[in-house]
Amino acid sequence: MLYFYSKLQSINKIHNVQNITRIYALSKRNIILRYKNSLIGFFWGFFKPLLFLLIFIVIFSAQFPSINNYILYATSGLIFWFFFSNVTNQSIGSIIGSAGLIKSLNIPAIQFPLSEIIGELFNFVLTLIVFLIIMYWFGISYSLNMLLIIPCTLLFGIFCFGVILALSSLNVFFRDVGILWATIQPALFYLTPIAYPESMIPPHYKIIIKCNPIYYFIKLGRSIFHDSVGPSLALWMHCAIIALVTLSIGAFIFSKLKNQFISTI
Amino acid sequence: MKQGNIIEFENVSVSFWQNNMGINSIKDLITKRKKPFSNKTILHDITFAVQEGESMGILGRNGSGKSTLLRTIAGLIKPQTGRIEINGTFAPILAIGAGLELELSGYENISLLLSLYGTSKKNSNALQEIIEFSELSEEVLKMPAKRYSSGMLARLAFSISIAREADIHIIDEVLAVGDQGFQAKCMEKIYNIKKQGKTILFVSHFPDDVAKICDTALLMDNGHIIHSDTAKEIGDKYRHLF
Repeated sequence: MLYFYSKLQSINKIHNVQNITRIYALSKRNIILRYKNSLIGFFWGFFKPLLFLLIFIVIFSAQFPSINNYILYATSGLIFWFFFSNVTNQSIGSIIGSAGLIKSLNIPAIQFPLSEIIGELFNFVLTLIVFLIIMYWFGISYSLNMLLIIPCTLLFGIFCFGVILALSSLNVFFRDVGILWATIQPALFYLTPIAYPESMIPPHYKIIIKCNPIYYFIKLGRSIFHDSVGPSLALWMHCAIIALVTLSIGAFIFSKLKNQFISTI
Repeated sequence: MKQGNIIEFENVSVSFWQNNMGINSIKDLITKRKKPFSNKTILHDITFAVQEGESMGILGRNGSGKSTLLRTIAGLIKPQTGRIEINGTFAPILAIGAGLELELSGYENISLLLSLYGTSKKNSNALQEIIEFSELSEEVLKMPAKRYSSGMLARLAFSISIAREADIHIIDEVLAVGDQGFQAKCMEKIYNIKKQGKTILFVSHFPDDVAKICDTALLMDNGHIIHSDTAKEIGDKYRHLF
């Protein structure tokens, strides 16, 4: 763990104003470019989960009478899943896409995936606000507990950052990584209890769900929005450990590969 | 470091991972059972020094390692062996137009690139200077860059790149852009930078340009420095390569 920590320190060269200005400029560019020339802009980020939600309501809601307020249950899972899915798909090519800059400017390469995730977090917050307002008509109960979504999003963001550090750097050397990632995403989606209740899974298969790191974050978000009890301390600890371990692994892979980016892209 | 030197290289070697032929997917890795990457040395035992205020040209065939050398000087590539000492700030122009976003307008691109270069935007002189140097009209600068002609793009890119303040300017064969008037203007700008006492490293395929700007020059071949002399002498040797 100490080794990982020192590695992290060495790749986190976000030490001066210049770097912060750069990350800000890159993130702003990412946000502007994403919806440039589209008619409804940011609302696209919001229609995707909405469409899934409609499909779920039509197909599944009658199947799972055990879930009270199915719409809220599915929504709270979906918005977190789409954050994960969008941020990984956007960032997986962030190093390759910045080939010109990496070859001509002395910018720490970590700033490219970092600015992608900042741009996506910005979108996520906007989507979240819209959904929170809409969910008023579907029986969400607003309370101060909801502020817990801030540490929850931060932990999930750290986890996602670890994943994209690994994916975006490996993708430089093997383009299969991007294709493979697109292929396994649907499987990962249905392995996570987003559309269906956790209780549906037979006990001896539960281990598969428990091995899926995203499960814990979805559960964390859901216990804030859907179950009004709030997450347990154990769940917070689980998520924090998963986030830090994922970040360490991602940062380790990234730091091993980053010196060869320039010769490979 | 010797007094008066701004760049010192001593026995510097640089090697890259090279993708072995035909393997760039996981399938090949499993079925062909070859190592996917091998180490290839690009620069061998490079030793040279540049004095403060000196302009040095680098000549050589395509693929002789000129760009790799410039990237190593700019700190983009870490050498495997050897000692590098550098005593100043850089403004490298290694690829013209890197970082330009075609969907953004000229103004937005200037602001984005200035941030990426680390130039403070409060320095409004920089903005004025860029616009004046590029000779692009207000109307053009408000258009998305994808509607620019390639010459206009090159003007914009070069104007932003050259506006930086630094001790060492690195210029990698980027002058083959724009119309003749603009090219002459670029050469004049580089000459002015030299007159201000800045250090310039200049790569070009035109020995005459190198002779005009540089005092000394290196001739590179196959990752080695084969000659080091005054710019004029090296220009003649370069012509004899072909």
